[in-house]
Amino acid sequence: MTPPPALLQIAPPVDRAAVRRAVDPETPPSYFEALEPFLPSVKKPAQYVGGEHNQTFKPWGSADVRWLLNYPDAYEVGQPNQGIQILYEILNERPTTLAERSYAPWVDLEAIMREHGIPTFSLENHHPLWAFDVFAVTLPHELAHTNLLNLLDLGGIPVRSAKRTADDPIVLVGGHAAYNPEPLAPFIDAAVMGDGEEVTLEIDDVVRAWKREDGRDRHALLKRLAGVEGVYIPAFYEARYTDDGRLKATVAVEPGVPAIVPKRTVQDLEQWQYPKKQIVPMTEVVHERFSVEIFRGCTRGCRFCQAGMITRPVRERKPETISNLVREGLKNTGFEEVGLLSLSSADHADIGTIARDLADEYEGTATSLSLPSTRVDAFNVTLSNELARNGRRTGLTFAPEAGSERMRGVINKMVSEEDMLRTAEIAFANGWRHCKLYFMVGLPTETDEDVLAIADLSIKVYEIARKHGHKNKVTTSVGGFVPKPHTPFQWVAQDTPEEIHRKLKLIRHAIKDHSGLKLRTNDPEEGVIEGLLGRGDRRVAAAVERAWELGARMDGWHEMPTLDTWMQALEETDVPLARYSYRDRDEDEVLPWDHLDSGLEKAWLWQDWQESLSGDEVDDCRWTPCYDCGVCPGLDIAHDTGYDAANATLPVVPSGLGGGGLPIMPARITDRA
Amino acid sequence: MQRIRIRYTKEGRVRFVSARDLTSVWERALRRADLPIAYSEGFNPHAKVSFPDALPVGYASTGEYAELTFAAPIDPGPDLGRLSATLPGGMDITTYLEVPDGAPKLAKMLGATLWELVLPEADEDAATAQVDRLRDASDELVAATSAEVLRLRPNGEEKPIDVRPALLALRAFLRPADTGGALHPTLRAVLRNDGPTVRPTDLFTALTSRRDPAADRGASPPPSDAPADALPTPRVHRRVAQGEPLDGGLREALSGEVVPLEPARSAEAA
Repeated sequence: MTPPPALLQIAPPVDRAAVRRAVDPETPPSYFEALEPFLPSVKKPAQYVGGEHNQTFKPWGSADVRWLLNYPDAYEVGQPNQGIQILYEILNERPTTLAERSYAPWVDLEAIMREHGIPTFSLENHHPLWAFDVFAVTLPHELAHTNLLNLLDLGGIPVRSAKRTADDPIVLVGGHAAYNPEPLAPFIDAAVMGDGEEVTLEIDDVVRAWKREDGRDRHALLKRLAGVEGVYIPAFYEARYTDDGRLKATVAVEPGVPAIVPKRTVQDLEQWQYPKKQIVPMTEVVHERFSVEIFRGCTRGCRFCQAGMITRPVRERKPETISNLVREGLKNTGFEEVGLLSLSSADHADIGTIARDLADEYEGTATSLSLPSTRVDAFNVTLSNELARNGRRTGLTFAPEAGSERMRGVINKMVSEEDMLRTAEIAFANGWRHCKLYFMVGLPTETDEDVLAIADLSIKVYEIARKHGHKNKVTTSVGGFVPKPHTPFQWVAQDTPEEIHRKLKLIRHAIKDHSGLKLRTNDPEEGVIEGLLGRGDRRVAAAVERAWELGARMDGWHEMPTLDTWMQALEETDVPLARYSYRDRDEDEVLPWDHLDSGLEKAWLWQDWQESLSGDEVDDCRWTPCYDCGVCPGLDIAHDTGYDAANATLPVVPSGLGGGGLPIMPARITDRA
Repeated sequence: MQRIRIRYTKEGRVRFVSARDLTSVWERALRRADLPIAYSEGFNPHAKVSFPDALPVGYASTGEYAELTFAAPIDPGPDLGRLSATLPGGMDITTYLEVPDGAPKLAKMLGATLWELVLPEADEDAATAQVDRLRDASDELVAATSAEVLRLRPNGEEKPIDVRPALLALRAFLRPADTGGALHPTLRAVLRNDGPTVRPTDLFTALTSRRDPAADRGASPPPSDAPADALPTPRVHRRVAQGEPLDGGLREALSGEVVPLEPARSAEAA
């Protein structure tokens, strides 16, 4: 492990007011020259230089509102993020707006930046964070919260929003972890839940108007921002507690701000065909491919899945839009791989057509197609066969998520063991050689029997694999479940890392005689911080700040085991981890995110949680009747899919597979309405 | 199949892209330019772009080479122009040469490298003093039969390297800086590419052997307590060109042009 660098105060930045508020803005310094001499001595220096194909360079003086977009983790993880790339394009398409990108420096560069007074910088022009108007940060998960504080501090702006002045950028967060921004409340100025396309432009307008008309009164700017639908200003709300320390309510204390802040949803994805000109990295990143979001939202209803709950309803892109995006995107980027992204890509109503058309178009070329999907059924294999038509059939991934049928009923992952085994049979019979299975332990009501069922199912799949070829492999990945806000499991106790370790050991022991069956596990300790920050309230913020001061950062990295640092911070700030993470919550308990509306009715979530206890399953509302989760009427939006729920009476099995008993398949409609 | 050898630059930000990552930078540029690059057979096909050697990360170059194999003939002038235009900033194709099957390997044509080390700009007096020091040290080095330096390896060990056998020619001169009046002390050397690898940093260490070897890797700026007359660490390490060694320079591999050790313009400026 590289020890976290000691915290050093960086020198205050140069005269910011002169740079930021001049009528004809001067260009702030570029820190590239300051950075350059140190680059040969840091790891992966290409991540800090920018200059990638499709980067947008705009002169500082050409814009009157300037955004620094940030993914608060290393470039190799953050660069492929779609959200940042979408906002980068739509903001830069505006003639008087400029957006640059930034990521978190690895600890080796951070130490150099602190020693030499190099601030958080943009990749395009290496401008300092403090010179921008908006610092827009996506929070994909909770393990980058300390990085956010670190970036602010490195960037020469106060970590606490109360200490910022009109000369400091607005610190705005979005992304999935922004659905409970309370543990970050003192550090951020604003949070937005949901789709960013429209609200970002509205915020841009507000900042521009404020700069023209006033530009000095920060409170007035925050007040204007609070008037934008979906913008939550934590400073305008107060969390109140009972004498025994329970949360009573989070209430608006600023006149005129909404009591409850809703998420934003883009109804028509067709109007937002981004990102088109994706950045082409020049150094290795986690996904190097042209990604097309084929639909947004998911209504499979997996009870553990925060993404599936908060991104409802389903909005699909049309097949012709998808093939145009792919064609143009490949031309613009030169990528050799296309990823068809969504939360469950095989569920697109027209996925068969999309896959066939793309496979036809790119057959015989070096372009490969990938379809991340969590579905466990033969149709998924058919699709994968199609996409890998003349290529390799190496690995297929299935996510049964739980080992026993009972457990899968609880989490609403409707896959029978028979389905799983038949799917494996079909996959290996079709020449696939490696199968990855995703599971979780620590799910509500889980017993050791359920845990051992993971080993059991894996072994059965492995036996099928071996039957089709002695070199065939199966990898079982098991992660510890972390309950998330805005899900039916938001009330449940999380397993302690000790308990997760014990369960993983049970699995490891049970499969030890099968050498070709590999077990991969995540570090259960990482789930501790994730869980605490996921469901924490404002009182947890003190611990976030203290942990960061003590050197915690890059909390999601194996190289940086920060749990001990966090434990010390929790102790020093009197934050009781067990109260936040290791107990079941009551129905009437006030939750820290009750004033933040993801569209889901709290009563429906509770009902779904109760039904899960008896293993009652909920069907997908794309092809079965609405069960009133609350999203569509609450947000006045609707599904936008090629499924026709009214006519989807009989499951239709894709050609060439046959056989009854497949999981419920929606009717497929060839022509969209 | 059409085989084309190219010379290209690696200047500016792209200097920090590693040799390993460069392969995909080329593959993607070739695809953007829609050129029919050939792909290798097999399980994991790769575009047929080969590089004779790797440039250390952070080094600049006007003398990088690659061999591209096309599955269908291209019109090299316009097509490579299009390819050059879609490469990342700092990468430009400057020369090309179509080669027949059976041509000697590209690496064979690159017998020696003309390196350039540019020191930070200084005023005329300081720069002249630095160049004088470099010239004295150069004369000593050329006169010596061996010059062993220690190179710090990534694992912390020090490895002894004799710089002298690879050294063919060496010259120090002044070059005008972008800002008026200031000058860059500059060192150019021709090093053989065969035999044990000698890097320009090893050469600089040999010239300034009392310096700390770690400082020469560009890892840290010169310590502030360094003596006033100490030579600063070169700001730029550049591979200027590769080819066949000549007296006083190099015959560039693809164009056959002579690249002199000391550029004419700089000689006048000095």
